[in-house]
Amino acid sequence: MDTDLDRDLLSDLPQSIIESILVKVPLVDAVRTSILSRKWRYKWAAITELVFNDTCLTSGHDKSIISCNLVNFITRCLFLHDGPIHKFELNTSYSPASPDLDQWLLFLSRKDIKELIIDIGEDDWFRAPSCVFFCPKLTHLVLVRCELNPPPNFKGFLCLKHLSLQQVIIPPHDIEVLISSCPLLESLTLSYFDSLELTIRAPNLKYLNLEGEFKDIRLENTPHLIGISVAMYMTDDIAEHFEQCSGCNFDKFLGCVPCLERLIGHIYFTKYLSIGNEQGNFPVTYQNLKFIELYQVSFEDMKELLVVLRLIVSSPNLEELQISSSSITTTTDIYDLEFWERDWPADCTFGKLKMVHMTDFSSLPHEIAFIKFLLGHSPVLEQMIVAPTIYVTDKVVKMLIDLLTFRRASPLATVKFIQEPL
Amino acid sequence: MAIVKPEMKSYIWLKTADGSIQEVEEEVAMFCPVICRELLQNGKGSSKNCAISLPERVNPASLELILEFCRFHQVPGRSNKERKKHDEKFVRLDTKTLCDLASAADSLQLRPVVDLTSRALARVIEGKTPEEIRETFHLPDDLTEEEKLEPLRNMTDDPRIRLLNRLYARKRKELYDRKKLKNVDAEEEPLVDERSVDDLLSFINSGDQDSKGARVTKNKKKSRGRKEQARNLSSNNEAGNYNKESNCHTSGCLNGDTNDGSSPSRNSKLQNSPSAMFSSKLDLDDFDIDDELDPARKEEIDREVEDFARRLDSVWPERIQQILSLGQETRRLRPISMNGNGSMERCTAGVDRG
Repeated sequence: MDTDLDRDLLSDLPQSIIESILVKVPLVDAVRTSILSRKWRYKWAAITELVFNDTCLTSGHDKSIISCNLVNFITRCLFLHDGPIHKFELNTSYSPASPDLDQWLLFLSRKDIKELIIDIGEDDWFRAPSCVFFCPKLTHLVLVRCELNPPPNFKGFLCLKHLSLQQVIIPPHDIEVLISSCPLLESLTLSYFDSLELTIRAPNLKYLNLEGEFKDIRLENTPHLIGISVAMYMTDDIAEHFEQCSGCNFDKFLGCVPCLERLIGHIYFTKYLSIGNEQGNFPVTYQNLKFIELYQVSFEDMKELLVVLRLIVSSPNLEELQISSSSITTTTDIYDLEFWERDWPADCTFGKLKMVHMTDFSSLPHEIAFIKFLLGHSPVLEQMIVAPTIYVTDKVVKMLIDLLTFRRASPLATVKFIQEPL
Repeated sequence: MAIVKPEMKSYIWLKTADGSIQEVEEEVAMFCPVICRELLQNGKGSSKNCAISLPERVNPASLELILEFCRFHQVPGRSNKERKKHDEKFVRLDTKTLCDLASAADSLQLRPVVDLTSRALARVIEGKTPEEIRETFHLPDDLTEEEKLEPLRNMTDDPRIRLLNRLYARKRKELYDRKKLKNVDAEEEPLVDERSVDDLLSFINSGDQDSKGARVTKNKKKSRGRKEQARNLSSNNEAGNYNKESNCHTSGCLNGDTNDGSSPSRNSKLQNSPSAMFSSKLDLDDFDIDDELDPARKEEIDREVEDFARRLDSVWPERIQQILSLGQETRRLRPISMNGNGSMERCTAGVDRG
């Protein structure tokens, strides 16, 4: 073979490209490159991202051996590594024993770690050692199923931009302190917390993602919030708590988020917002709010309906609205349909609303009235999509006919019906 | 007010390292940060005489590809899906072109192309065995058996790495000793990963209690690798060692001579003589590091090194099959002197590589 054509292609690439390549293969393959040739002995040891997941597991059936091998692999990789480690991800269903994990975290805290992602075990919680709190350059922290106890001299993560805690056990006061001591925090995700009462003060926060049982959430200092996504679960004692509390949840939650662009609410979110007594006027306008998605809105509860209306009326630039109705029809009250003409200003228009998507529609009187209201007040509406719920089949035809007769403010509006196949 | 007519696109001149000069639409070339900078800050490229000199790593073929990339992407109206599709087709190139392109993109600081090519090269590497990778990229297989056991440089003077280096020194000494006693071996064995053969052989001879024992102690040793702790644990190994010695005797191996207080595994029970001496450029000083340690500890160290070597050189399941059949062959040829770590096997393979 001609030696010119056989020239080594890979080893002479610039280090940044080699790192770029090695970071994109599973770590096991990257470590294996150490026996390729002389030049490759240590190339893998300089990569700055270490991702340990199921690709690092040896095959076999004995769980304790696999777990053991994984621990050994991680330990050896770490102490053979040379240079800073910017990202460390551990994502496996095996739970390394506490001394191992603590030592790895201690080692990483000395190596300028910036991104730390730990998601281990399926049912066990690990206790985060205090060295986690002293990683000065941390920008991304994702912890799943761990116990966090910030030490008393913890001053905060000064560079942290992204925090995601899932099923984390942390004293309630400490979590507020944690959030407010991260001045650069831009994205916060809290999942599956139990009965959390939280005041969020995060001056740079842009994205907020909450899921779980929250008793009370107050956004006190979040002027730059752009996207909110909340899934609120309800338990009996939270419901009780709601009966007793005063103060308007809507204001507490959405009272000072003027830059909001996208709002997504699941499960009991609208119910949560509806609790409390509002003043009657709507002080805040959401000038940038363009997308609203609300799920499980009960059109039988007047208060929830008012929340929805308040939201859309306060968002003059709303472009897309998606509402899914909750299909529980429990009450037999008489619907106050006069409400629509009486209490609602007839001159409100939704000047930018282009798309409305209603799902799980069960032709409740207020649902129909709502659609009629939207159709009549949206001069640039392009599409109104209605998908009836599968539970109500007999009234569907009548409902559709009614809908088609409603007056449309927009000459371009098309009304579409989508029926899910049974 | 100037109205730019479509026919009046402005062109700039680019010069690659080999001297060839090319004319390119300005808007296309501006997509590239380095060219952009040269044009705006240094005012070059407006004519053939002061063409922008591109960095050395940019050869004409890569430049062609890069310009094609820029030409596609600088058109504003395209959807993300279109762009993605184009990119996927774009990197369907042979490895040499991919490498050149990556290099060129890096010198021109065109991040999207760097990412694309890296990802494509990563896909090429992923899942291949070392031999396959060496073949694809024409890498020389220039690590000798010994070098694979060479101590890894201890940058941070980590005590654990010091320990590991000791282990390697020990291993090298073993190899050296064994080679001194080997006969020339006539049959050619295909290059195999001999450490996994050991592994396999120890599995085959699996009544080997000390290997399991050592494994347990090794794990305990993981916590901060304190030697005292290890020494305490080595007493667990004593029993294992005794077992080993008796194994040797019962299998009738010739180990009369080599008892320099070292571990049984170092006894060469070889029937075949070493092949042509291959001059191990071993530094004999390295051998002396471990001599003050007791035999049980040394045994443990040997296990340690095996495991580590396995880590560095782990093998695919199908390869294990291959090696299994090979191992059985060699077993037939050398029925005697099978002990736990099959050290003799290692030597044979090592010689062939040398």
